[in-house]
Amino acid sequence: MNNDDYDPGLPEGLDLRALSAFVDGELPHAQHAAIEAQLEQYPQAAARVAAWRAQKTALRALCGAPQRSARADFDERHDDPERDAADEPAFIVVRRSPPWWQRVGLAACWLAVGAGLALAVGPLAPRLTGGKWGGAWGGAGSQPPSFAQRADIAYAVYTPERRHPVEVAASEEEHLINWLSKRLNRPLSVPSLQEYGYSLVGGRLLPGEAGPAAQFMYENSTGVRLTLYVTGIARDETAFRLFRDGNRRTFYWVNDGMGYALSGSIAEGKLRSIAIDVCSALGGKPEAWQ
Amino acid sequence: MSFEADVIAWLPQLRRYARALTGDRAWADDLVQDTAERALARWSAFRPNSNLRAWLLTILRHLYIDQLRGRREIAVDDESAPWRNLEAPQAEVDGLMLRDLQRALYCLPVEQREVLLLVCVEELSYQEASKALGVPIGTVMSRLSRARERMRVLLTEGPAHGPTQGPTRKSPPLKVVRNQQ
Repeated sequence: MNNDDYDPGLPEGLDLRALSAFVDGELPHAQHAAIEAQLEQYPQAAARVAAWRAQKTALRALCGAPQRSARADFDERHDDPERDAADEPAFIVVRRSPPWWQRVGLAACWLAVGAGLALAVGPLAPRLTGGKWGGAWGGAGSQPPSFAQRADIAYAVYTPERRHPVEVAASEEEHLINWLSKRLNRPLSVPSLQEYGYSLVGGRLLPGEAGPAAQFMYENSTGVRLTLYVTGIARDETAFRLFRDGNRRTFYWVNDGMGYALSGSIAEGKLRSIAIDVCSALGGKPEAWQ
Repeated sequence: MSFEADVIAWLPQLRRYARALTGDRAWADDLVQDTAERALARWSAFRPNSNLRAWLLTILRHLYIDQLRGRREIAVDDESAPWRNLEAPQAEVDGLMLRDLQRALYCLPVEQREVLLLVCVEELSYQEASKALGVPIGTVMSRLSRARERMRVLLTEGPAHGPTQGPTRKSPPLKVVRNQQ
C-alpha cells in the first residue's frame, strides 16, 4: 500500500523515507555515501531514485522555476530580473483593516455563543458518558484508562449525529481552537488528516474525568467519521495502546500531561497509521512505541 | 533594505508557489496579495534574523488552507478542474509529460502537494519546510516520500488505474457539492 513508508522489496536503511531524503541531499554524509553504494545492488531502489529525480526536475519545469538546482543559487535569485517578474507587478495594495473594536466585538460574540452551547450541552453529557462501560478491553488484564473509555463512548454518541455532530464547526476553526484551548487551559492544535481524506468537521467540549475534555471530529467524503479526544491527565506514561469495543477502535497515548485518543470504526491498521501521524504531529514521539 | 522592500522582493517566488499550489492564476494572485498585506501588517511579529521566505510561505499557506475550506463547497467538476486552467507547459520539455505531471500533482492531497512543492520547487530544506508547515521534520519526510511515490505510481500507471487500483486511497482533492436548485 502506498501510504506505508515501508516497501517489502527494499532492505533496511533503504526505505522510501531515506531514499527521498537521499534525493534531496538531506542525509548526513556517511549515510548518503552508504545509500549511494547500496543503490548498485538494488536496481529497484536505484530506479526509484532516478524516477524521483526526474520528477523533481519536471516539477521545476512545470512551475517555471529555473533549472539550476543549487540552493545557493536560489537565495540570490530574487535579485535577478526573472522572466516572470517582467509581466507581474511587484507591488501590493494595502487595504485598511477593520477597526479593533469591531474585531473584538465579533470575538466576544463567538465566545458567548460557545459558552452558551457548553452550558446547554454540558449537563447532558455526564448522563451520556456515565454509567457502565460495556464491551471487551483490547489489552488482556489491565483496564484501559478512563479517558480512552470516555473517548470511545463520546465517539459512539456523537459520530452518528447528522444535524449537530459538533458544537463549533470547522469553518470557525480559529475560534474553536481558542475556545477549547482556553477551557482545557493549554494551547491545543488540531492536526490535519486531509492527507488521509478526512477533513475537520468541528469540535465540542465534554466533561472529562478530572476536568474538561475536547473532542474534534473528522469526516471523509463518504461520511466515515473519526474523533480525536484530548484531555488533561495527571499521570504520565509513554505507551501507545489500543482499546476495542464492538467495531470501534481507539488508539490512545499520553504525552506531556495530556491524554489523546483517536477513535474510529475503520480498519485497525489504517487507524493505527493515522494515530501515529497524529501523535507525531502533536509533538509526541511515535518512534518510542513503533 | 527596508522590511517592505524585502517582502516585495520575494513576491515573484510567492506567486510561483501560490500558482503551483492552487493551479489557479487569479486565486494565486489574491493569495500573494493577502500574504504580503498580512506580512506588512504583522511585521512586528517577524523576528529580524529569522528566515523571511519561510515566514512568508507559512502565512501564504495558512491563508490558502483557510480559503480552501471556503471554496470546497463550490462545485468543481473535471471540466473546471485546476489543471485545465493552467497555461500550457513550457515548450522546451515534453508538453504531454508535463500535463500528466500536472494532473498527478492535483490528484495529491493538499498536504502532500504542498510539501512536494516546497522541497522540490522552492528548494526549502527539511528544516525550513517543517517550520513553514508547522509539522515535525519526521512528518515532512514521510509526507514527502509518500507524495513522490504516489506521483510515480500515478505517472507510470496512468490516471485510469492509479487511484482505483489496489488499496491505494482515493482522495479527491476537491469535493463536488452541488446546490440542487
